[in-house]
Parts: sequence; structure tokens; C-alpha cells
Amino acid sequence: MDEYLKEMADILDEESVTANDRLDDFNSWDSLAILSVIAMADSRFHAAFSALDIRGATTVGELYELLSKGTKAS
Amino acid sequence: MKLVYRGKRIEGLLAIIPANERSFLDEMDQFDFPRGRSLKLKEVMGYDRHRIVDGPVCVSDLAVAGFEHLFGRGLLGRDDFDALVLVTQSPDYFMPATSSVIQGRLELKHDMFCVDINQGCAGFLVGLQQAFMLLDQPAIRRVALVNADVMSRKVSTRDRNSYPLIGDAASITLVGRCDDDAPIHANIKMDGTRRDALIIPAGGFREPSNPDTRTQHTDIEGNLRARDDLVMNGSAVFNFVQTEVPPMIQALLETAQVDVDAVDTYLFHQPNRFMLQKLADKMEVPYAKMPSNVVEHFGNSSGVTIPLALALNLRERVLGGTLTTVLGGFGVGLTWSSMLLPLGPLEFCDIIDYPQVS
Repeated sequence: MDEYLKEMADILDEESVTANDRLDDFNSWDSLAILSVIAMADSRFHAAFSALDIRGATTVGELYELLSKGTKAS
Repeated sequence: MKLVYRGKRIEGLLAIIPANERSFLDEMDQFDFPRGRSLKLKEVMGYDRHRIVDGPVCVSDLAVAGFEHLFGRGLLGRDDFDALVLVTQSPDYFMPATSSVIQGRLELKHDMFCVDINQGCAGFLVGLQQAFMLLDQPAIRRVALVNADVMSRKVSTRDRNSYPLIGDAASITLVGRCDDDAPIHANIKMDGTRRDALIIPAGGFREPSNPDTRTQHTDIEGNLRARDDLVMNGSAVFNFVQTEVPPMIQALLETAQVDVDAVDTYLFHQPNRFMLQKLADKMEVPYAKMPSNVVEHFGNSSGVTIPLALALNLRERVLGGTLTTVLGGFGVGLTWSSMLLPLGPLEFCDIIDYPQVS
């Protein structure tokens, strides 16, 4: 989870992020951030997610739960 | 599907790119995104400059300029090839075929097989496969494979998803026979159920162009485009490439019984630097062996990116020697294909501007 939070902070252009942070509150939560998350899912979780799947998550922590569950769609 | 060819080689290659160069920094204000995020996109994807046609330049214009260059320099005789294979998704007309337009404009001989193939990012592979098959005919001594697209004319200038990376270009690859009878292994797969991932929805017979299809709308991400414009589902394409391409290359090398380290260069289609580096990471191929710099120099010109990657990065090495090369193409269709072949020594491997500044 710590590694994940670090990577999410980098993707969102923030110093740090927490599991409770809402994704929509970040100005940087855009198509590029979502593609970066999809790439992270591929390399870190060996899973394929669609942009729609990713948009389904509300918080940083919820997104972690989603990615941990593995391949959902493509 | 496994494919195998024998006694064929690439003899020479010329790429033709529009002289008109645009830069991402000059264009980013036309997108409805904060500058900071566009700069981040530039950094992550490796966007910088791209070449796009200035005005109503067509595929046959680029191709004819390329052939005239070859004829003028004595690199190809007008009667020294018997087939013209054009791979494009931006033809001059619905009918006739643009290969016939090129043949006519150049006043080439009638003893000539002309064909258009509708393929995009895997178009260099599909075109080579067609050329190799044609060369099994004794009457066909040499094939001119033309890859060409002016797709910028079908991309909305306000679509940050596609416009920064689009490029226009053409290439002419001369393909002929050789004495080396060693097998050239290749493979190809297609999945038409995922055809919507890269599509121009309107303007064909399914949905003819009309005032509605010409009207731009904002998508969920903030890009403006019309149904007459190209639309790409970036995340679907990313997943497709990362999922399908590594096992395809692995299968190719297994069939050929060649070790991954024995390959000198992986010349892949160039969607953007980001996707290619992720692919290299996954395949455990050093970045130095997989060029990924075509988009930042010229943009993504679908089937022309492999010839451009070769001419931009490996010109001297393929003029002077032979490289064990894996070609990889993947994209619209969806289509994905690869080929292992010895590349070089080539007779020429050049990039010229259109129109030529002399």
C-alpha cells in the first residue's frame, strides 16, 4: 500500500496522498492520470482495467482495492 | 496464425514527410486542458514536434513525389517493378483505388498489379506479407510497397487525445527476391470485435457525412471532436498492446528458435514513447534496442512509423551491414503482427521532405 500511495502521489502531482483522499478532488485526476493508473495496474498488479473501471473508484483507497482484485476488463 | 516466407528481402526504403512541422508547445492552447496538465502529458508521452500536411495534400501526392525522387536519382527504374501495393486508410477517393491513381499519375506500364490495402498501424507488416506472396509469381520481379497516410486531416485539432501524436507520411519500400533460402518467420492475429477502439465513425456508407456528423461535441475527458473525426480509445489500445504484443513476440522467437538477446533491434510501430517503453519493460528488452523516438520527431503516421524508425535510428547500420530484426505492428482492426528477418545491407534508406526544398 505504501508503494502504491507513493506512485499515486506521483501520478497526481502531489507531495503525498492518503487512502481517504477523493480522486475527483484532484485537478490532476484526468485522462492522463487514468492511463497512468492503467499502466501501473499492468506492471504492478498484472491486471487490465478499462478507463471506465478506474473512473468507478471514488477514493485513492477504493482504487487500491479495485486494482488488487486483479483482471476485471479490458 | 504462423506465416513463413523464403527468398525475399527488403532492398531499399524511402520515407517522405511533409515539410510542415508543428510543435506541441505551439498547439497546446487549442486544447481545453490546463497548461500544466498538457505539459505533463508532453513529458510522459514524449510529445514534441510532428509533421502534418499543410492544406489538401493527398496520399498519392506524397507517393508520387517519392517515386519521382527514386526515378530521378536512379534508385529505381520506372519499369523495374511489377506490383504496387498501397497500404492506406486515407485514400484519395472511395473509388478508384489510390494505387491506380499513383500508377496513372506516374504513367507506369500496364503490366502492373496494383492493389490498395486498408490497414493502419500493422500496415507495414501486412504490406510486406502481401509483397512476399506476390513475389512467388515469376512475372513479379520486384514489388513497390507504399505505406501512406494523411490522417491529420481526419483528426480534430481540439482533440488532445489524438492530435498531438498524429503525423502524416509515406514510405516506399522495395521488396525483391534473393538467394538466401532461410525461412523468414512471421505471425498475425486479428480481432474485429474490438474494431471500435480506433475508428472514424462517420463518413463511410454506414453513416454518411452530414451536418450532424460534422458537428463537434465534447467527450467525457474534455476533447472536442465530430463523428467524421478519428476517435481512439486510448486505454483500450494500451491494454490491447500490453496484453497481446509480448506473447506474440515470444511465440515468433520460439518458432524461429532465436534467443531474445540475439535480436539486434526491435522495430515496432510507434504509437508514443510511453507505450513503447512499457512494452520494452514487459519484454525485458533494453530501450537501446527498441527505438521509441518517432512520435517526438515526426508524429505517429500509422504504417509508416516502422520505416521512419529504421531510417531515423539505424540508417548507417542497415546500409553497411545486416541487422537481425523483429518488426512489430499493432493497431486498428484490431490487428497485430510480427516478423523476424535479416535487414540489410539496403541500397538506400532515406527520409525526404514534401515538397522538396532544392
